[in-house]
Amino acid sequence: MKLNLHTISRSNYLGLSITFLFFVFVIRLFYIQIIQHDYYQDQANAEQIKRLVLPADRGLIYALDGDKPVKLVMNETVYTVFADPKIVEDTDKIIETIKTVAGDKARENFSDLLKLTDTRYQVLAKKISRSQADEIKSKNYRGIGFQANTQRVYPEGSMAAQLLGFVDYQGDGKYGIEGSLNDRLKGTDGLLQSVTDVRDVPLTVGNQNIKIPKKNGYNVVLSIDRNIQAKVENAILEGSKRSGAKNVSAVVMDPNTGQVKAMANYPSYNPTEFFKVTDASLFNNPVISKQYEPGSVMKSFTLVKAIDKGTVTPATTYLNTDSVTIDDRVISNASKGKTGIITMQTAYDWSLNTGMVEVMKLMGGGSINLQSRQILYDFLHDNLGFGDYTGIEIDGENPGIVVGPNTGQADAVRYSNMSFGQGLDVTMLQTAAAYSAIVNGGNYYQPTILSGLINDNSDFLTSKPILKKKGVVSSQASRTIRDMAIEGRKRLASKYDPVGYEIGGKTGTSQVIKNGVYDNVETVGSYIGFGGNETAKYVIMVIEYGEGQGFGGSKDAMPVFTDISNWLINYLNIKPKG
Amino acid sequence: MSYQTTAQYMSRRNQNWSRNQNTTRFKSSVKLGPVSHTVLVALMIAVLGLIYLTQATRATSYDYESQKIDSQIADLSTKKSDLEIENARLSALESIKNSTVAKEMTTPVSVNYVP
Repeated sequence: MKLNLHTISRSNYLGLSITFLFFVFVIRLFYIQIIQHDYYQDQANAEQIKRLVLPADRGLIYALDGDKPVKLVMNETVYTVFADPKIVEDTDKIIETIKTVAGDKARENFSDLLKLTDTRYQVLAKKISRSQADEIKSKNYRGIGFQANTQRVYPEGSMAAQLLGFVDYQGDGKYGIEGSLNDRLKGTDGLLQSVTDVRDVPLTVGNQNIKIPKKNGYNVVLSIDRNIQAKVENAILEGSKRSGAKNVSAVVMDPNTGQVKAMANYPSYNPTEFFKVTDASLFNNPVISKQYEPGSVMKSFTLVKAIDKGTVTPATTYLNTDSVTIDDRVISNASKGKTGIITMQTAYDWSLNTGMVEVMKLMGGGSINLQSRQILYDFLHDNLGFGDYTGIEIDGENPGIVVGPNTGQADAVRYSNMSFGQGLDVTMLQTAAAYSAIVNGGNYYQPTILSGLINDNSDFLTSKPILKKKGVVSSQASRTIRDMAIEGRKRLASKYDPVGYEIGGKTGTSQVIKNGVYDNVETVGSYIGFGGNETAKYVIMVIEYGEGQGFGGSKDAMPVFTDISNWLINYLNIKPKG
Repeated sequence: MSYQTTAQYMSRRNQNWSRNQNTTRFKSSVKLGPVSHTVLVALMIAVLGLIYLTQATRATSYDYESQKIDSQIADLSTKKSDLEIENARLSALESIKNSTVAKEMTTPVSVNYVP
């Protein structure tokens, strides 16, 4: 039998081999493109698709200049200059240029850093301006790069620093308005997801491109008038020089809207250089954060409530013996000698504690009891907001302390003391807002630091004042306490006031509690008052204090009030009465 | 390339059904085999691919132009912001106070209000 072998030609071999190879390729491609599709798609996307953050612009902060908004806090683009020492050429020229152009913005040892050729990234200068960056860019040095950053800039320098706060390196607001309104000022970053080329230029190819537009932060307009703020800052600085006070604070408020027109503290800091501040307490705003016993300025509140209830009038008399015994405590007057039968007006003028204790007794029907305690507490706490947050839009506010009438600590002694400003803690802002209510006719407005917003079309949208409590006292009681305050001021400072205006106020000198007892040396000097014509146009409050220092309301704080008040009458163009 | 006219029988009924159609057709003398057809189809696909690539590249060129304009806008915005800051600094109270105009001002001795 002959074996019949099939022979395969070489061309057939080649054909079969190619077919086999194609088959292998097809199998492999099927595996890669179909089975492993998601894996390779993800890898390709990771390589080709970039997610770029579109940073939102932080909202600007405006103050007022009269009725016109002016920029108080702005954003500035600054640049960090960095080098890749490994590829840098012309080192000497670069050093010379950086020295000349960047000046003090260059790092001290940048020339040494530039020579570290085994490193790939060295920062040479920080926070240089655009024009400086452009000048360096124009030299086209190899290995030199620029990183743009945004920072807050303050055209008015350190004005209202503790009110504004600052923005930290992470872009978050701290303290003040920057802290409290951080979410509204910060805005929301946008997102651009796109296929990019090697230079990260976004391309329209691909079907996974996404663009979420950024939402810039709100531009807020403060109620602060920059001219009043500058004047107040200057006045408290002068006040500090006169009295030697380590701390002076002042607040100016529009009593008819609750808007704060100025809020200043000495000492302060420069928000541009917040990182240089070594004492963090400087970041606090004492006008809203310092809780202290207010002293005799509280007499205005005790009296106006009694007048409103019809319990007393300025002509009501009592026997002043310069001291009065309540339970086991003897309460004395700081000013002595006005003994005998005197009026409430005299007690107010001479700031006599016994007069206020008498008022408390009269409100209780002859003794300081739950009824009189309840009346004072309801008035101070529920109507005027003492012992609670005012809700002003600034970080760091304290609520103060007002002991309730039914608590264990609320005895006759405590409420006697409260009637003339001891035994309770308040803040300046609470006091100014409450005082505004009793001199404006009896309406308590929510204290605010905002007067509106600037929208994208640069329109100024004003906000309305919030009337929180109507009729905390009657308009007649308000008129009476104004007259009493004017009369009280006549004894002390009428010669400094312009003729034809209604200017009144009340002094306060309060002892400070040290280790649980009242210190005989350290006192807080304060003055609160108003000015205007037929109606009150402004309320000013000033306090001076310092560790180990003693200040008087009339001697130290009142001159600062007078300085600001006289200037305000001209600035606000207030016409005399009649 | 030439064509030959061929006579074809067409029934009257068929003529009636397609009265307005040509009754003659031209038969090409060029014969294309399956390989030629495949090559032609491949070429057509390649041309279409090229057209797609051209269009895609054109879109990308617009991207670059757009990027260039965006960067110009960003640059001009930065310049505008810088000028606004400079304007704010120059009109700041401290700058006004230290200006030559302000230094030459005097304080009024007294103020009279006209009723």
